[in-house]
Amino acid sequence: MDPASQDVIQKEIIISAPAERVYSAITDPEKIVAWFPNEVEGSLAVGERPILSFGADGKTQLYIVDARPHEYFAYRWVPGSQHFMGDVLTVPNTLVEFFITEEAEGTKVVLKESGFASLPSPHKEESLKDNNGGWEFMMGRLGKLFAAN
Amino acid sequence: MKLAQTYKALGDPVRLKMVQRLSENPTYTLGSLSKGLGVTRQGARKHLMMLEEAKLVRLVPEGRETKVLLNKASLTKAKSFIAELERQWETRLEALRDFTEQ
Repeated sequence: MDPASQDVIQKEIIISAPAERVYSAITDPEKIVAWFPNEVEGSLAVGERPILSFGADGKTQLYIVDARPHEYFAYRWVPGSQHFMGDVLTVPNTLVEFFITEEAEGTKVVLKESGFASLPSPHKEESLKDNNGGWEFMMGRLGKLFAAN
Repeated sequence: MKLAQTYKALGDPVRLKMVQRLSENPTYTLGSLSKGLGVTRQGARKHLMMLEEAKLVRLVPEGRETKVLLNKASLTKAKSFIAELERQWETRLEALRDFTEQ
C-alpha cells in the first residue's frame, strides 16, 4: 500500500494525569463508559469482540487488536457506524489506535484512525468483504481529491 | 443512499480517476471519459455504472453521445462524514481528559 493512504484521522491531547491513569480510563470497561460509550458488553482484552452501546445511537461490535499497558491500545470497528453487529474483520473497517506517552507538559494521547491494510480487489463487487482495500484507498485519497478542488 | 456505497464506489483507482477528471472538467462524455484509463471501453462502462448506482454521477443521453455529470452533493456528503468523525474524536478526547483529570 501507498504509505500516504494510511493515516486518516489523527488527533492529540495533553492530559494532566499519569499515563497509567489515562491507559486505565481507555481500557477498563468500567472507566471507558465515563467518556466514550454508555455501556460495554464483554471484555476489552486483546482478541475479544466487545459491544459498545451508545444509547439511542445504537451499538457497535469491535475487535480488540492490541493492548500494551500504559502506552498503547488498538481496536477495529466500522467507522462512523454505531449499529454494526458481527465480525468486524469481515467488513471494511478502520483501525483505531491510542498512543500514550509521558511528556514534560503531561501525558500525551495521540488518537489515530486509519484504513485497513489488505490486498485491494477493486474489481470485485459482490460483497463488501472484498473491498477492504478499496475502502482504505478511498479514505486515504479523499482528502487529496477535495484539496484539489 | 448509504455512505458505505459512496466509499465503495470511490474505492478504486479507475473510478477515482474518473471522478477526479469530472471535477476538473464537467464536459466529459461516456466515450471521452473512458479513454486513457488503462481499461477497455467495456470495463470503463462497468465502472461508470457503479458510480451511477452510488449516485456519484448521472448519465445523460444527448444525441449520439452520453454526457457524464458529476453529482457534487454525494462527494460533499462523503467529505462531511470524515469531518464529522474528526469532530467526534475531538469531543471524546476532551471527555477523556476531563474524566482522567478529575
